[in-house]
Amino acid sequence: MSLADPEIRDLKAAATSHRGDRVFNRIITVAAFTALAVLAGIAVFLGLQTIPAFQSQGLSFITTTAWDINTDPPTAGIWGMLYGSVLLAVIGLVIAIPASLLLSIFTVFLAPRKLAAGLTNLIDLMAAIPSVILGLWAFYILNPTAEEWQRLLNQYLGWIPIFQNASGNFLGTPFIAGFVLAIMMIPIITSVSREVLARTPPELINASESLGSSLWTMLRYVALPYGRGGIVGGIMLGLGRALGETIAVFFVLKIVFEVNWYQIIESGGGSVATLIVSRFGEVSGEFELSLLLAAGFFLFVLTLVVNVIANLIVARTGRLQK
Amino acid sequence: MSIAESKGVDTIQTPAVTDSSPTTDREIEMSTQDVSVWFGKRKVLEGVSIDFPKRSVTALIGPSGCGKSTFIRTLNRLHELIPGAALAGSVMYEGKDIYDRDVDPVQIRLKIGMVFQKPNPFPSMTIRGNVLAGLKLSGMKRSNHDDIVEETLRAAGLWNEVKDRLGAAAGELSGGQAQRLVIARALAVQPHVLLMDEPCSALDPASTLKIEETIRDLSKDVTIIIVTHNMQQAVRVSDRTAFFLAAENEPGHVVEQGLTTEIFGNPQDQRTLDYVNGRFG
Amino acid sequence: MTTTFDPSALPQLQQQRIERPWRRKPPIFTWSVVLATLIPLAIVGWIYWSTDIPGAIVMTVIYLPLQLIASGVAAFATRGRRGILDSVIIVNAIGATLFTLIVLLSVIGSLIARGITAISAHFIYQNNVYVSPSTPLEYGGIGHAILGTVIIVGISMLIAVPIGVATAIYITEVRGRAVPYVRFFVQAMAGVPSVVAGLFILTIIVATGAFQQGAFAGGLAYAILMLPTVARTAEEVLKLVPEDLRTGALALGSTRARTVLRVVLPAARTGIITAIILGVARVIGETAPLLLAAGSADATVVNPFGGPIAAIPTYIFNNVALPYPDAVARAWASALVLIVLVSILFVLARVIGRGRLSSK
Repeated sequence: MSLADPEIRDLKAAATSHRGDRVFNRIITVAAFTALAVLAGIAVFLGLQTIPAFQSQGLSFITTTAWDINTDPPTAGIWGMLYGSVLLAVIGLVIAIPASLLLSIFTVFLAPRKLAAGLTNLIDLMAAIPSVILGLWAFYILNPTAEEWQRLLNQYLGWIPIFQNASGNFLGTPFIAGFVLAIMMIPIITSVSREVLARTPPELINASESLGSSLWTMLRYVALPYGRGGIVGGIMLGLGRALGETIAVFFVLKIVFEVNWYQIIESGGGSVATLIVSRFGEVSGEFELSLLLAAGFFLFVLTLVVNVIANLIVARTGRLQK
Repeated sequence: MSIAESKGVDTIQTPAVTDSSPTTDREIEMSTQDVSVWFGKRKVLEGVSIDFPKRSVTALIGPSGCGKSTFIRTLNRLHELIPGAALAGSVMYEGKDIYDRDVDPVQIRLKIGMVFQKPNPFPSMTIRGNVLAGLKLSGMKRSNHDDIVEETLRAAGLWNEVKDRLGAAAGELSGGQAQRLVIARALAVQPHVLLMDEPCSALDPASTLKIEETIRDLSKDVTIIIVTHNMQQAVRVSDRTAFFLAAENEPGHVVEQGLTTEIFGNPQDQRTLDYVNGRFG
Repeated sequence: MTTTFDPSALPQLQQQRIERPWRRKPPIFTWSVVLATLIPLAIVGWIYWSTDIPGAIVMTVIYLPLQLIASGVAAFATRGRRGILDSVIIVNAIGATLFTLIVLLSVIGSLIARGITAISAHFIYQNNVYVSPSTPLEYGGIGHAILGTVIIVGISMLIAVPIGVATAIYITEVRGRAVPYVRFFVQAMAGVPSVVAGLFILTIIVATGAFQQGAFAGGLAYAILMLPTVARTAEEVLKLVPEDLRTGALALGSTRARTVLRVVLPAARTGIITAIILGVARVIGETAPLLLAAGSADATVVNPFGGPIAAIPTYIFNNVALPYPDAVARAWASALVLIVLVSILFVLARVIGRGRLSSK
């Protein structure tokens, strides 16, 4: 067997040997890397702004909670805001995950076809509602209702720590902000989980039906395990959106510079994104601006990590499902 | 009938083709009477009446699009899950119409199991989990899961190949193995009837042979109804055969039915003769 | 020969009626459903009207559990033990759907009810120069903000559409070695919070001083948000272009570039338009990037580099929480205008998208 290896010819190069094609390819390739350039740009430009923040505050910029810029020396720490962002997102998820899952189960497995199509359109439209409009609605329509509900929660379930409220003020609470975030997340999570549930192969549904499954056992043992990855990915995408949401939260959350650990119906909480917008309007100078930019950098990192994980999960599920 | 009555003959006269068979002595496990099927306004099957004797293998043959697969799905009420599906006539099982309004379709599907064209093990479960899936899905209680797993995998002719990796993902099995796993899964809920919709069409010849052996073995215990495109397969595995045919734009119907040896050896209808000799379809 | 009516064919046709026997439910089923619906409602109604427990409490603490129990009992009566969990899912699924629809209805309903009062012809075209928060609704409008939104979105389209489509072309047509990475970056970019996009443009302004807050800066921030949407949708539609078209064009001696520009893109034209519409819909209501990058103004601004400019979202933002009823009414009206714009884009995308699918 002394046959010489045939010379491997680079067909790829041959395919694009035309000069016009090479120019075209180069232009397209450069454009395709814009996304990377923007991400890198954000990381570098905002990342640089963390230098003054750390120089003046040290690590306490991200481990403490304070915002006294005009004192000497000024103190600033965004821990309460970072924690608050996560707390709001968790409240939102607690509402949005069951609602979205049940909604997509209803759309895919229970609703008649026409109703399902109508629901799909409505939920997609819901995803398109700008956050400033949700903020406006929440401020005037949701707030009074939510205030009443929280008062009742506190009255009857106040012995549970998370429903404590010492101030008697039931507006600007993490619960209301989390609820608004849930409304923003529901269409995102629903559209993803609806897709993956609808993609449950009919032969698997047939198989489980022929084995005498009920709706519950079919969901529990066939559809949900099959779509699990996609659903988790959808939840992470919703989470990414919730962490970065600014305007809707701005109208319903009272930003306080102390950590509200768990009292979700107590007035006052934190959110990095909202901090940025609420301080930006009355920013006292270049130093405070760079603090806000540094806060933005951490928000960027937080959402980037969540989104990358979400997309990896969704991509992996997509491959497994093929 | 009036002639028979006047002569005092009180035995039920069966059609000539099914008359002389030994299998007619057997009890009838299930039968259909005048079953017609629609998808929306389109009628796809008309007036199908077939008896399925206990512990026999009945092959349903015919060209594509003649309604065989649709028919087999009416036998365990999977047909009704398709939007727009409709049906007339009756499907008798254990002396009762399975479409009676107080019949629970789930109980029917447990008694009348099904194996599909494409092997469809649950990918998120292990081999063992797949065998036991029917128990989980239907909420059926059976003790001694290990025995069930071994027993059904043996019955499906898969035990020796997988006994050392019952915990492996079902996705690792080859097509033929997956199909036998699916058969084991269907057997685990102890059905009386097993419907098989072209169980070998996605498999290679070697796997096909294995499945056919399995079918022959199983027919000692359960009644099997199998849709197949493969005429040799019908001859090899079945006791009885029903030949379906649909003219263009017309619903399918049964042209001829009876003992497999009769249908293939001495068909009464010219179209059956043409089909079993491979002249069309 | 005339065709005659053949009566013998008739009885045969009518012999069997189309039936769906599985829809005939036994009486116990019907009664269970009726009772499981009526009994909880009756009890809850009685409690609500005979006591002074707040309606919200009645609904959540009494009605919901009661309905679950009633449905569970009904399911047990009709389908045995395994019916119970099914009924729990079904009741909750219907509940979740109703909840979501009520929220959606509340948002849309309040926008229409409260927004309509301030809507008038001059509200659409006048600007806000001589308007203070307490000025009555007879004066002023958001013409400047609508124009600002159009300019800013236009600028972002000029930037994001070519780059987004080019990115999609790289992924589906050029198919370079970096395709997985490019897709990864595009997806990561889709997750950038809008406020971060605004901050990024702001840092560029601060660092370079090349331009100031205004339409151009706002358009840049919008473009960051628009690009991933355009790229991802365009990628989907380019994938739908049949491979035959490409090989056919190449076989005729067309270069790859010409194939893409003259064959593939025209074939995907409506899909690309959908991608652009979705991109616009994604950004048109974004507020935070404009607060940071575009600022706000009362006068009509046309020059992209002419300093702070108004837009609908920022106009809403600035008027929401003011203690003047007329300012709040203006906010609602602008929100109504904005949601109408979004809905038009949404419907357009659906209609064009459907046209694309049906022409296949």
